[in-house]
Amino acid sequence: MKTFRPIPGALVLALVFSLVTAGTTAAADKTVLKMVVWDAANTAYLQPLIQAYQEKHPQVSVSIIDIPPNEYQDKLSIMLSGGEDADIISVKDIPGYAGMVNRKQLEPLMPLIKRDKVNLDAYSGVTNDITVNNELFALPFRSDIWILYYNKDLFDKAGVAYPTNDLTWDQYATMAQKVSSGFGTDRVYGSHYHTWRSTVELPTVQDGKHPIITTDYGFMKPYYDMVVKMQNDKTVMDFASLKVGNIHYSGVFYNNQVAMLPMGSWFISTVIAKHKTGEATMNWGIVKYPHPVGVKAGTTAGTITSMAVNKASKQKDAAWDFVKFFCGPEGAKILASVGNLPAIRDKDVMKILADRPGFPTDANSREALNTTTVRLELPMHEKVGIIERILNEEHELIMTGSVTVDQGLAEMTRRVKEALGQK
Amino acid sequence: MRNRHLLKNDLIAYSFLLPNFLGFLIFTLVPIGFSFVLALMEWDGANEIKFVGWDNFLALPGDETFRISLVNTLYYVVGVVPLTLVCSLGLAVLLNGKLRGRNVFRSILFFPYVASLVAVAVIWNMIFHPTMGPVNFLLYSLGVQKLPGWSASVDWAMPTVILASIWKGTGYFMIIYLAALQGVPKYLYEAAEIDGANAWKKFRKITVPMLTPATFFVVMMLTINSFKVFDLIYVMTGGGPGRATNVLVYAIYNAAFIQFQFGYSSAIAIVLFVIVLAVTLVQFRMERKWVSYV
Repeated sequence: MKTFRPIPGALVLALVFSLVTAGTTAAADKTVLKMVVWDAANTAYLQPLIQAYQEKHPQVSVSIIDIPPNEYQDKLSIMLSGGEDADIISVKDIPGYAGMVNRKQLEPLMPLIKRDKVNLDAYSGVTNDITVNNELFALPFRSDIWILYYNKDLFDKAGVAYPTNDLTWDQYATMAQKVSSGFGTDRVYGSHYHTWRSTVELPTVQDGKHPIITTDYGFMKPYYDMVVKMQNDKTVMDFASLKVGNIHYSGVFYNNQVAMLPMGSWFISTVIAKHKTGEATMNWGIVKYPHPVGVKAGTTAGTITSMAVNKASKQKDAAWDFVKFFCGPEGAKILASVGNLPAIRDKDVMKILADRPGFPTDANSREALNTTTVRLELPMHEKVGIIERILNEEHELIMTGSVTVDQGLAEMTRRVKEALGQK
Repeated sequence: MRNRHLLKNDLIAYSFLLPNFLGFLIFTLVPIGFSFVLALMEWDGANEIKFVGWDNFLALPGDETFRISLVNTLYYVVGVVPLTLVCSLGLAVLLNGKLRGRNVFRSILFFPYVASLVAVAVIWNMIFHPTMGPVNFLLYSLGVQKLPGWSASVDWAMPTVILASIWKGTGYFMIIYLAALQGVPKYLYEAAEIDGANAWKKFRKITVPMLTPATFFVVMMLTINSFKVFDLIYVMTGGGPGRATNVLVYAIYNAAFIQFQFGYSSAIAIVLFVIVLAVTLVQFRMERKWVSYV
């Protein structure tokens, strides 16, 4: 007969006591910085960067507050409004940045930049795009650009020549049609448009003639027409299916369902990582983002990802020091080494990136990340949040075929005008 | 002596109510009161609060998104309330009779109510998937040429959401009807049978009138819940396509937590409150006319 023997009380007490004291002594002589990030598990650069910093500064430990990427800005904004005192804030996009600046939730960094003589020229102009009234509230660490990914195996199978670094959108559309084949679930689609508005709208602002926040959206017509036609021809998957099925662009690319994929450079590190785990096996390459006729090859759109110090932080100096490292030259090298495009891009950094195991080895791919002009995906604007919402809603209506391209663009024009007119 | 005893009893009762009431006070009553104040203010949660009087309310009629949300909410209520009522009553009557395995059916029908809403929404989206869903596959094999886009189409998104909502809610109200059916005395039916009433007559003249108190409760709960709909829409359509399923609570959420206009958002919330209050009062007024407590 087995009897249950309680663990002697003293032992339990000792155990608990040792755990508690271990925790407190560790915390006592260390500065713990809290950092808000999205999707930590899938962000390849996060841990290496934090580790590198902690090795240099053993007295500091960085702990992460992880938020799912889809609800990142909503949740972060609510946390900050509730008085969250996390020290370091990752800034995911321009609307989020604009909102937090308007609500005065970010620490102005200019005085610190001047004090520590941070060289802003190294960012090749990216910092200008997020400067508000001569003040900077975040430092960029990644500045991704849009490129064209393609699946070499599918091109070989179709007997179509690979895309090049100098491709117009018309040539790209013809190519997409040629490489499409098959029926039903076996269909290979020539290209792919993720459900984001940006996938269709970025080419419309590549020539620099029209800003994305404007009072007439008629200029977007050629590219909406192009993509709607591709969708009707089944050269690309249908928007409604992607949206309802919540289908991520990565899966269709790994599964050899799409031959081309216009997407941001952030996807490079993910593709490399998925090849390592064996989830993706196809041969792939990248080329420069296609461009309109009359616009130089290498003109593309870009996004800025930056790091800020929370105004409510109680350890602003320590937080700033971390931000400086993360966004500085040392951070850039680490970012490049895991396959990301850092905001500071010199020859060394670009070489690290292209030499990475898993990066496509052909000459075109190595050249693809060099740009001539990068236009910001969304500019800083007081009303960028509400305008993006309008553009998204009308984009959805056009792409689901609920309205014609002309109707949708007219609605965009009318609604954005109205929103800009309100106080 | 007697009074002291009563007082003691009261205090004991209050002390039991206290924990619940405290929670209600802190997390519900105070925020509700606060939102009444906020509706007269302009506030983004960070900068200073500014008093703007009735401005927030005056801006509402001119706000297209608000008008669309209001119409969509009414569409949803008018769709969900009667259909859920009919379905739950019908199923309850069916499962109240002598039926093989009726407990199994009862459990199956109650299941959607306890199932996680997010999972339900995702599954419904898969069932109604415009190109890969079984529903459109069935319609296609039946020869339907123009397949509906369901939750991805402006015209069908709301009916799809309504359908999902009915499926999810019916089980709960069916249980309420089942309980009420137990309370209908057998002798009424026996008497009717002697008088030669058929099944339909018995249902019309006995079951329905005897169930009016339950129906009153069901209509009330359904109406209030339908006005408050948010989660199902958030997961299934995100208010889209475009603004096709944008409802009032969605507008409140957007104004508050996306646009950070807490004052404006509170104003919408108060409009919703007034609508629900008015509908509820009207229903109570009408109660005397059609509900019988025998």
